[in-house]
Amino acid sequence: MKNEYLPYKAIIKSIQKESFDTNTYKVVFSDEKIRNSFDYKQGQFAEVSILGIGEAPISITSSPTRKGYLEFTIRGAGCLTKKIHQLNVGDSLYVRGPYGNAFPYEEIKGKNIYFIAGGIGLPPLRSLINIIMDNREEFGNVKILYGAKTPDELCFKQELEMWKKIPNTEVWLTVDKSYGDWKHNVGVVTELWKKTDVCSKNAVAFVCGPPIMIKFVVMKLIESGFKNKDIIMTLERYMKCGIGKCGHCNVGEKFVCVDGPVFTYEEIGKIPAKERAI
Amino acid sequence: MRRKGRKIMTLKKISKADVLELLECCAKTWKTYVPLETEGKDILFSLLPTSGSELKEALGKVNLNDERVIISPKDIFFPQLDDMFYFDKDKIKENVEPPAKKLIFGVKPCDAKAINFVDEFFKRNFEDIYYLSRTKDRLIVVIGCITPPRPDACFCTSAKTGPFANDGYDLQLVDIGDEYLVEVGSSEGENFINSYSDFFKDAQEEKLVKAQVVKSQAAKNVKLKVDFQKALEIMKGNKDLEENYKRISERCIYCGGCVYVCPTCTCFNVFDEKKDGNGIRRKNWDACVFEGYTREASGHNPRDKKVQRTARRYEHKLKYDHSVTGSSGCTACGRCLTSCPVEIGMSKFIQEITEDKKGA
Repeated sequence: MKNEYLPYKAIIKSIQKESFDTNTYKVVFSDEKIRNSFDYKQGQFAEVSILGIGEAPISITSSPTRKGYLEFTIRGAGCLTKKIHQLNVGDSLYVRGPYGNAFPYEEIKGKNIYFIAGGIGLPPLRSLINIIMDNREEFGNVKILYGAKTPDELCFKQELEMWKKIPNTEVWLTVDKSYGDWKHNVGVVTELWKKTDVCSKNAVAFVCGPPIMIKFVVMKLIESGFKNKDIIMTLERYMKCGIGKCGHCNVGEKFVCVDGPVFTYEEIGKIPAKERAI
Repeated sequence: MRRKGRKIMTLKKISKADVLELLECCAKTWKTYVPLETEGKDILFSLLPTSGSELKEALGKVNLNDERVIISPKDIFFPQLDDMFYFDKDKIKENVEPPAKKLIFGVKPCDAKAINFVDEFFKRNFEDIYYLSRTKDRLIVVIGCITPPRPDACFCTSAKTGPFANDGYDLQLVDIGDEYLVEVGSSEGENFINSYSDFFKDAQEEKLVKAQVVKSQAAKNVKLKVDFQKALEIMKGNKDLEENYKRISERCIYCGGCVYVCPTCTCFNVFDEKKDGNGIRRKNWDACVFEGYTREASGHNPRDKKVQRTARRYEHKLKYDHSVTGSSGCTACGRCLTSCPVEIGMSKFIQEITEDKKGA
């Protein structure tokens, strides 16, 4: 029987600053066997820890099409993640996983894809975005609608520029508060509906962000004709074990860590409203 | 493993006077857990020493008659504090309990039900090595309840979890006076009888009749009755229970006592402790009724209201457990009620929603 609770050492190879409180860490498992056997799917997460501090579930933001390393985009929010922000290249993290279900991939081939994200909500989607970009011809139009509080809080600034240049791919950015030479939109992410067509025909939408944003985006998507089953999101919950045991992420009869974190809005509708929190 | 209604060739019995000697014998080769009286006169499942004067002394404290076992034996498999692994700067040393034959002697029927329920939980999806390694080579000897251990709180006849077990045991002892009639529930139980054949004597068929009389009287002794089935149906249906949850939430002090003593509650926290570069990663019991239980690093807490946590507790036990496993997570042991400082308990909740009575 495998001991699922044992983490494996991974060395930080690079740190990319995303915003004032968010970094992307590229890590490589020290053990070659683990490095080669750690197969994950887009949308899955890992339990990341510093021994002696604690462990937290973090989305794997790298794409499974790019082998040999993992990337985690981490906001310094709690005591573990703030400690991770003090680490340097060459330091180690401990990682176990991958856990959770995944974003659909085969099922959405040939479709138009919308990614609608707020703030730290883009990192969980990045894995799927990049796997699509790596197989771009198999998908229809891709539109990324991304909002943050300020220009500094947008993640993956270079990649956003890069994705924009790919044919049939649009990137729309908005911030609540602009400053400096900000050339894009100002306002909440649903304001971007005025800038570009959001059409439900042969389309599927991935939504990730703070609960209040998700609520308004879903309303807007339904208004635009999207069916509940074509709106796909992740539920975020406090987790400890990641394997459906500790109970913290239990909502209704589901464990977010095992049955999720990816759910369609149709599935979310079956979770009792008081447990949903969106 | 455990099979229902297993037949053995000969009916067996064990004299009550021989039980301590049997335990003394077993303690040598089994890790033997049995209800022991503590200094404070509470009764807890405890591990018997393996030999010598310590064993003799412990055997003097065995109490199989007074049935107020405070905590179910769940902590034998799921300890309140569990060291998962030790670490220094670079090395991790896992701390999985080595396999050992375990005899759990004197388990209540409702608790045997709970043990089996929790076993299945820790096997579902990912297997939990810490729990499951402790369940290997385990023998459960149930002693049925002649009188309910918690007379005002036990409601096992309503939930069909007692006062005698129908399955989920290796052996079940039926108190027929000076001796116990032995029911065999598994091949492991049968092997146990054969290994300790000096203690288990052949019994006459008429003892079966006596056992039947004892069992039906025991069932009559359980005075608290609730409409368990109706409660499950109500929980499954669309009836709005918010008012009930609200009333409870106004009285509950959210101490977590009910979930700690609940034989099927399995929530835990994971945390690290570190000293001089060495550390331990541990599990410890946690409780869904605590405010911090669902609080995220961002400060967002999807279950920040008391009423949500109250709903969670009852719905998990009576609704979600039932829809996932086909049986309720409540085994009707009544401990939540007896441990509660403000007299809230599952039986009262069930009475309230089935409108037997007001006030959970």
